[in-house]
Amino acid sequence: MKRQLLVSFGILAAVSMAPLAGQAQKKVAAKTSAPKNVPYARTPWGDPDLQGVWNDATSTPLQRPNAVGAKDVLSDDEAAEFQDQLKNNLSRDRRDGGAEADVNRAYNEHWMDSRRLKITSDHRTSLIVDPPDGRIPPLVPLSPERQKAAALRAAANTRFNAGLPESYRDFTLPVRCIIRTDSPPYLPIIYNNDFQIFQSPGFVVINPEMIHSARIIPIDKPGEKHPHLGKNLRQWLGDSRGHWDGDTLVVETTNFRPDDGVVFMGADPETYRITERFTRVDATSLNYEFTIEDPHTWTRPWTARIPWSKIDPAEQMYEYACHEDNYDMGHFLIGARERERKGEAK
Amino acid sequence: MKLPYTKLGVRWTGAMGAALLLAMAAAPVQAHHAFAAEFDAKKPVKLRGTVTKMEWINPHAWIYIDVKQPDNTVVEWMIEAGTPNTLLRRGFTKDTLKPGTEILVDGYQSKDGSLRANGRDLTLPNGQTLFLGSTDGPDQKK
Repeated sequence: MKRQLLVSFGILAAVSMAPLAGQAQKKVAAKTSAPKNVPYARTPWGDPDLQGVWNDATSTPLQRPNAVGAKDVLSDDEAAEFQDQLKNNLSRDRRDGGAEADVNRAYNEHWMDSRRLKITSDHRTSLIVDPPDGRIPPLVPLSPERQKAAALRAAANTRFNAGLPESYRDFTLPVRCIIRTDSPPYLPIIYNNDFQIFQSPGFVVINPEMIHSARIIPIDKPGEKHPHLGKNLRQWLGDSRGHWDGDTLVVETTNFRPDDGVVFMGADPETYRITERFTRVDATSLNYEFTIEDPHTWTRPWTARIPWSKIDPAEQMYEYACHEDNYDMGHFLIGARERERKGEAK
Repeated sequence: MKLPYTKLGVRWTGAMGAALLLAMAAAPVQAHHAFAAEFDAKKPVKLRGTVTKMEWINPHAWIYIDVKQPDNTVVEWMIEAGTPNTLLRRGFTKDTLKPGTEILVDGYQSKDGSLRANGRDLTLPNGQTLFLGSTDGPDQKK
């Protein structure tokens, strides 16, 4: 852990020109955390106040693109160009690239969260801050059982993407409206990047707009620990326990279900652990940082940092009742059987 | 100082774009919906129809239009669109797209050949993008 902290400090030293406040962490967080005499700093019962509706949209990619080399933070000019290029790549209004690209680029920009076309204000080239190369660490060799599971998953994805799903089981959990961005780690996507945080004494609740679940996180106090659930109790969103580390809310989550797609990149739910850190920076910003570790999947833990911006209260949260199964499940399966009937299936 | 990629110039859209796509592919829910799995890239459609209703359901709104055939009969098409939450956030309401409005649909028909399409681009007959004016909505502010 100490080594990790040192590595993170190294990154911060390298980017000290950028207005960062982040994990690297405790010292920086302490320096940038809210002063205690401003109204947003504390709840009436004395905890740091993280409440509000927040948006995490950004075009900054999770992993550093190879084309930017080792550069972790860009100058203003470079950042403007990086943002323009990302915007061009992400735009849903463009119609080039042929029909296959075009059909997958639905729908045009007025349906999308336009905040996703901007890079983070600190001009980083990746959301990952550790390892320092901004990339997800290499995988460890997978056991034969997990290789087999990965192959089955890949085959299901291939059938789905070819328009030939065999059954509902070939649909991922997001497509089936079971979990989407409500499961940690919270990563920005094309829309509905909003999260509402509530607090009460002893609990923090995180309610993502997409899709329909809220994480109710018990907060430990000195002398009052909430042990994790037993190993045999596994949940879609895992089992979260929180505590305050200074002004930072630290949430540790384990006990994810073993179903495909519940944990990040097909990691091993038995050994997978995610630690999230929420630090209020000022009246309108918060740093969200997560560290993922799974010795059965990656050669080392890795950490990403995503700035969250408080949105105007007038821009409220909206219900996201997910109805994908109502029409599209049928459409996909009917389409697949029709293609088989026509002999298009191989 | 310029980044290496700026020296690549036009190569950005190729190598750089691929690198970015790879980088983003690691995210679990970049796109929840592979449209090509449901809609047929070989069946582009351009429809002109009159809105009969719009269902504001997530993750996809559905717009129903009546399309007049060359023989003057009318058939109903279902047009899939994006998430309505973004429209709500931009200030549009359920009354914005009123029944009777004529729209043009540029999209792709479903693979089973039924009268459903994804509304890749939706415009009014005068060429304006449907829901135009949204760029000033709160979604644009940051």
